[in-house]
Amino acid sequence: MTLEFKTSRRRFLQATGATGAVAATGIGLSGGTLAPASAQQAASAAGTATVVNKNICHQCPARCGIDVYTTGGKVHAIYGNPDHPIANGKLCPKGHLGTYILYDPDRFKGPMKRTNPNKGRDQDPKFVPISWDEALNTVAARLQALRDKGESHRFTLAFGRGWGASCAGLLGTFGKLYGSPNIGLGHSSMCSDGSKKAKHATDGNKDYNSYDYLNTNYILNFGAGFLEAFRPYNNNLQVWGHLRTKSPRARVTVVDVRLTTTGAAADRLVMIKPATDGAFALAIAHVILTEGLWERDFVGDFADPAMKFEAGKTLAADSFKEKWVSGLIEWWNAVVKDATPEWASKITTLTVKEIVTVAREFGSTRPAMALFERGPTAHTNGVHTGMAIHALNALVGSLFAKGGLAYQMGPAYGSLDVKSDDFLDDYAKAPERKKPRMDLVGSAEWPMADNQLQGVAKHHLAGNPYKIDTMMFYLTSPIFSAPGCKDWETALKDIFVIDTSPFPGETSVFADLVLPDHTYLERLQDAPTYPFQGYPLAQLRTPAVKPVHDTKVFGDILIEIGKRMKGPMGDYYKAVGNTENVVKALAKGFEKSPGDNGVNSFETWVQKGVWYKKPYHWRQVRGEFYEWDGTAYAKKMDAEEVKKKLLKTPSGKFEFKSGLMEAKADFVTAKVGIPAERVGFPQWFEAKHTGGGDLHVVTPKSSAHAEGRSANTPWAINIYQPTSGGRTQNLMEIHPEAAKKRNIADGDKVRVKSSIGTISATARYYAGLRPDTIVLPFGFGHWAYGRWAKGRGSGNVSEVTENVSDPISGLACYYTGKVTVEKA
Amino acid sequence: MTKWGMVIDLEKCTGCQACTAACQMENTRMPGEVWQDVIFYTEGTYPSATLSWLPRPCMHCEEPSCMHVCPTKATYKTGDGLVLVDWNRCIGCKYCMIACPYGVRFYSGERAEIQPDVRTVYPGEGDKVWSPPFQMPADKQDRSRGVGVAPANVVTKCTFCSHRISKAPKDASDLSGDNPATRESTPACVLTCPPTARYFGNLDDPNSEVSRLIAQKKGSRLLDHLGNRPQVYYVTGEGGSVPNVGSSRKA
Repeated sequence: MTLEFKTSRRRFLQATGATGAVAATGIGLSGGTLAPASAQQAASAAGTATVVNKNICHQCPARCGIDVYTTGGKVHAIYGNPDHPIANGKLCPKGHLGTYILYDPDRFKGPMKRTNPNKGRDQDPKFVPISWDEALNTVAARLQALRDKGESHRFTLAFGRGWGASCAGLLGTFGKLYGSPNIGLGHSSMCSDGSKKAKHATDGNKDYNSYDYLNTNYILNFGAGFLEAFRPYNNNLQVWGHLRTKSPRARVTVVDVRLTTTGAAADRLVMIKPATDGAFALAIAHVILTEGLWERDFVGDFADPAMKFEAGKTLAADSFKEKWVSGLIEWWNAVVKDATPEWASKITTLTVKEIVTVAREFGSTRPAMALFERGPTAHTNGVHTGMAIHALNALVGSLFAKGGLAYQMGPAYGSLDVKSDDFLDDYAKAPERKKPRMDLVGSAEWPMADNQLQGVAKHHLAGNPYKIDTMMFYLTSPIFSAPGCKDWETALKDIFVIDTSPFPGETSVFADLVLPDHTYLERLQDAPTYPFQGYPLAQLRTPAVKPVHDTKVFGDILIEIGKRMKGPMGDYYKAVGNTENVVKALAKGFEKSPGDNGVNSFETWVQKGVWYKKPYHWRQVRGEFYEWDGTAYAKKMDAEEVKKKLLKTPSGKFEFKSGLMEAKADFVTAKVGIPAERVGFPQWFEAKHTGGGDLHVVTPKSSAHAEGRSANTPWAINIYQPTSGGRTQNLMEIHPEAAKKRNIADGDKVRVKSSIGTISATARYYAGLRPDTIVLPFGFGHWAYGRWAKGRGSGNVSEVTENVSDPISGLACYYTGKVTVEKA
Repeated sequence: MTKWGMVIDLEKCTGCQACTAACQMENTRMPGEVWQDVIFYTEGTYPSATLSWLPRPCMHCEEPSCMHVCPTKATYKTGDGLVLVDWNRCIGCKYCMIACPYGVRFYSGERAEIQPDVRTVYPGEGDKVWSPPFQMPADKQDRSRGVGVAPANVVTKCTFCSHRISKAPKDASDLSGDNPATRESTPACVLTCPPTARYFGNLDDPNSEVSRLIAQKKGSRLLDHLGNRPQVYYVTGEGGSVPNVGSSRKA
């Protein structure tokens, strides 16, 4: 087992007998053993020696540490970094694809400008190569001109998969110094803001959870592709091998709309009607309460032990002594008392027996966890559904418990000596800079959302709140991936577009300038971990090879543009210098707080590729909270400390009656139609399905594709499996009964129609799917992106997904659409 | 003596295909040349359909049908139990592909499943079938053992990562990525397998991990009645999504 990192650096060196092997550029390898890298460097040029550099995978958000094997200046292999707690020397299938991506023959070779003034899907941009100086000067002059006119807010920069301080972390400062609220419009509203909002509303943490999978005995998984795409995918797979063979063997129940590998490998799969997960969760809560299965140490108990929760019967609020929860009896009286398995059965299409069995198992196994992300929350009832699922974690006492869920600590980073606030000029400080954001977040329309990138094209077209002049894209391509993506094809026609992708994606077809980023194997770039096991962890990309083409890392592109701006802003970026300085400043923090693997400087961070410091600092044990005192969870916390550090709600407890929701009761009532006195309760109400069709459409991610970076990789295309992957293209899963009713044969070309568009697809009979649902994976149907990606297989699901979002979280309702399917 | 063999624990296998991807990367295989494939099966219908899968490398049989039918003795059995193809002798007649009961041999001149063909994108230097920039380092390639980039029109197959395991420490009976001393000599699929469903070691050593697993978890071999005596064993436990391959699996 490698799940707990057990090979210390010391043991690694002893075992290989090569303590002198470490060099700043990596570890030299020859044959099966390590040899001094200094000697290997020379040999490498001759093509005989292999050098290993540390990096972070770029195929999904998990951020697995990777070892990049380079021989004679060519990368030929990537394996998991054995010293990295997420990777543990292993990788998922995507992790191995990086070599192909580095040498993708369709990559941009250097900066370019457009010469064809006409823009459109079928218009050749007629790019001509330019120098980096010309490219950067063009952008800077454009930004300067906007600023001189007092229109700096019309420069917008959207980003998707940001990594750390040296890329996405630079955006806030740039916006502040330049004077635009639109520098760094994030994509989280097209990712998983629903789960974050649900957790914020109930336990006070606006974040994703960390999970103690290694010690859990029960996973109740609502729609997460645990063995297909759920972050951190590679580690989930590792955990799976452990969960299924440990003693006691962890039981897993999967709630999904189709038979996936996750569902197949689990003990039980229940195939639920889309958008009804909340009703199922409430019925589980109902059974847990009526059968007395809740965790009394965490939740509390009746003052009179003879009292019971009985279906349909209200209780007096003071009858129950709550411990770390608040509003339980009010929730029971308003919602749960009537949420019987029979009630939920009618809504979810699950049988009463299935519901009761899952509820009893979950309620009587400790530790147990209920997990979910985007699946059940990507509907108009998403936040309340998420609250209902998360309420189960409170009922079984798994919050901050061993084998339960917690949150993520940040790394002990240092910071730059240069302080951006010293470089604000009068323009940047002027009250006129307080302009509404282009995504309207913070306005009366989106008072509770964090982001709304999917709204920006519509807002621009309507001139609300104003028109964009220039838009730059970093690791996001809403023209392909946003719901209702075709709006972007109209919007980007009259916007000056700057694309920074290394690949010829759809955004670049509309780009006026292409400033290509390095691919990840060529970058120096930091990234703190996404929520993992709670303890702080930060990793680093180091270049394995010199850039293959004339590219520049995104952070340096931004800094170089900044340097070209007049006044203090330019001075600031000259003082910052480059992203290497940013990364080195972060590593300064490790001097005072060395990692468990000995990383205490920039140089050692480069060598190891990761800094981490175990353990997570807090734990709830049988209803008491403890803080780590340096050797044990021994420092007992009082209610005030718990409220400040862990349960950050108004009440300092897990809220079955959400203070956050109640503070916005008028808005929630107006938008989702539930009465003001009920808005705070985890509950289920019917989602508003979009699209106007008769079949639900679900658009999951697949294991070799996930965030879509393997689109132009034939090795990946060839292994897209198991059911919607067809070896050469992706397919549309449809139940044979549903297909026959529509006169569709297996393998037929079909049209998938919604109220906003029609795409083509190839039908694949799959009986392991609900007959009322089709599945067409997300991230396919490119009309650009390279020779293997373009025009392959089924169309782009974003073209039939209406741009409707959960009004509370702002999360795009990707899974709420209904379509009609007919033979083409 | 060393007789290399593999154990695949289907109770732990997640069907993720990391083995497939790692193999193709390590061995510079073309798309479609999936030396280490994962085969998926579906049966039944909603709400009780089943989905199962089987990871399938070359079985490196003790009695390899492919070797016996080879007219040029290009396919041979090594002293440490591998079945390899000498590309200097292979004439691409494909008899071995027909004879192999496990479907794990590939032809380097096959029509490309994914167009455009990578052989036209990365044209082969000399008589190589292709020459991508990310190919296996030259000093590890060995035509006499079927390792590395193949010439056109020969048969290729899993070598158990012969170029890696041949560097194993002397007397090592377990090759695992978790052990720093054997990490660089462990086959790619075993090294990367995230749920640790794969084990590799010496079947002739009763103390090796593979021998113990075969005994404890009742290892079984695919199509054992054919008499090929595979050196790849499958084990499983209760539940999980595995095809019915052995005696320990409930019907």
